[in-house]
Amino acid sequence: MSTTLLEEVPPPRLTPVEGVKEGLQRRWARPGGRAYAVLRWSGATVFAVIVLGLVVSLLASASQAFGHSGLSFLWSGTYNATKDVYPTGIYIIGTLVTTAVAIIVAVPIGVGTAAFLSELAPTWLAAPLSVLIDLIAAVPSIVVGLWGLLVLSPAFAHHVEPFLKKIPVLEWFFHGLAYGPSMLLAGTVLAVMILPTIVALSRTALSSVATEDREAARALGATRWQVVRTAVIPSARTGIEAAVILAMGRALGETIAVALVIGNNNALPHSLLAPGATLGSAIINNFGEANPGLDKSSIIGLVVVLLAITALVNVGGQLLLRRRLRGQGAVT
Amino acid sequence: MSATVYPTDPNTRSDTIGARRTLVRESARRSLARRRLVGRIAVGSCVVAVAISLAPLIALVAYTTSRGIRAISWGFVTHIPTPPGIPGGGISSAIVGSVIIVGLAAVIAVPVGTMCALFLVERRGRLAGALRFGADVLTGVPSIALGIFAYAVLIGPGSLIGHFSGIAGSFALAVLMLPIIIRASEAAMRSVPRDLWEAGLALGVRRSRVVRSVVLRGALPGLVTGNLLAVARAVGETAPLLFTVLGASLLVTNPLQPMGALSLTIYSNANQPFPAAQQIAWGTAFVLLVLVLVLSIVARLVSARLNRQAR
Repeated sequence: MSTTLLEEVPPPRLTPVEGVKEGLQRRWARPGGRAYAVLRWSGATVFAVIVLGLVVSLLASASQAFGHSGLSFLWSGTYNATKDVYPTGIYIIGTLVTTAVAIIVAVPIGVGTAAFLSELAPTWLAAPLSVLIDLIAAVPSIVVGLWGLLVLSPAFAHHVEPFLKKIPVLEWFFHGLAYGPSMLLAGTVLAVMILPTIVALSRTALSSVATEDREAARALGATRWQVVRTAVIPSARTGIEAAVILAMGRALGETIAVALVIGNNNALPHSLLAPGATLGSAIINNFGEANPGLDKSSIIGLVVVLLAITALVNVGGQLLLRRRLRGQGAVT
Repeated sequence: MSATVYPTDPNTRSDTIGARRTLVRESARRSLARRRLVGRIAVGSCVVAVAISLAPLIALVAYTTSRGIRAISWGFVTHIPTPPGIPGGGISSAIVGSVIIVGLAAVIAVPVGTMCALFLVERRGRLAGALRFGADVLTGVPSIALGIFAYAVLIGPGSLIGHFSGIAGSFALAVLMLPIIIRASEAAMRSVPRDLWEAGLALGVRRSRVVRSVVLRGALPGLVTGNLLAVARAVGETAPLLFTVLGASLLVTNPLQPMGALSLTIYSNANQPFPAAQQIAWGTAFVLLVLVLVLSIVARLVSARLNRQAR
């Protein structure tokens, strides 16, 4: 069809590839092409400026506090107008403890759920349940926090916490008064929040394992569970680890729900039933009333510490996820 | 397998072989029984895990719905809040505030995010890699940090606006939405076959035109879904608004003034011990939940529908 057309055109000096290239370059030089390039570049520039601006402006706002107390900011914080100290160390411990509780509670349950949805359940059950969990992942954290404060907290004070205090060995973790709002409650609320994340990401990791691996294990006489344990989970391990780390990042950075249920106490917690404070809850509770100057600057310092911790965890998770994808030969 | 012929007549084989065979068969049977038992226990605990993980999630949605439905009425969504202690009143200021704040955030984030995604699709190399990495890290930044960032840039002393305002909240939410939009749009645009790009370019069509009518159109389901999910995420956020938007109980439509927002209404009412305040919190939580779930469901339906059309 186009042979006649090709014959009519005198043979160009350029090879066809070069001709196309030159033609494209000429197109590129047209105003339309240039406007498009400018648009793309400006999008990228705005984004880069925002990311850099975030880091720079927070560091600049916190510099007064860091300059005032140096490295000791990481433990004892700095003075506010009433000579009150922001105990950064206690906030960091609170953040780590609540996140640890959330991870300990949510990971076995989440990975078990993911294994069931991806490997064991029939499709008619797995598909709607997966959609349900994905949708629930969208529930705003303030709603989870409200539920934790008004429903879970009384239940913890009257039933769960008295029960935990009676268990012989664990009792060491759970002593003291059962108020309701506590490190334990905050950890549990965080667990509810990160559960959908863990389930969704581990399910993806599990179901991306090659079917051949499963069939090979099955052919060797493995039972259904043995297939999951010996063939699927080892291959999906990096993906599951990445899921856990990303969920951890989310738990570390969650503020509003934690601030509602942790009880907000600036003391070193003696037990999981004690009220505490995290970096996030401390920021929320103190930023509004903080005086301009050193006072506000030190709370922005807390933001910087929180940012550093979550960035560390998230970068680790992203690198792990990327390694998994590269291991499977996918292009990131 | 005729190679593995064992003497079948019990009289011709020695006792040791027979005994060994029985032993092997017996232990194989026992092993299978044991493996089956372990499997059953493991599968059983997975089912328990599903039950444990679904229970609080469903309880949360169901409880919010049942308490929320009792709280809402026509007046609840159309009136502004009354002072504490006076019955009646609603959350119209919060609804209007949320819509304006999130709408402005989308107006900022969608074009920037889409352009940035195009940049990532068109360009390889270190710069694109760095931007992508920036987007990935920004996804994990705690939302309170975005709020404080907006405060420092737009509200605090020596900043651009200098007082609490809706637009500052929009800026914080836009930063929150950007990485979601960028990554989702990039994935959607990459799913458009390279051949279509090249076919368009080979026809001599201007590059901007190829992008507009081939790439953007082909990627439309993914773009719509990604943007809607980003909006759904932004609607529910509280921490970025707390120190930017401040909250207002009057109906404010000027984004340069402090505004109300649904999540802020929940937060300020949740901490109060009065049943009336808690009632408002539940009602608002229900409105917010419905809004977010509708957005997520529509996002999924749009992508499913447009995918089907594309095929």
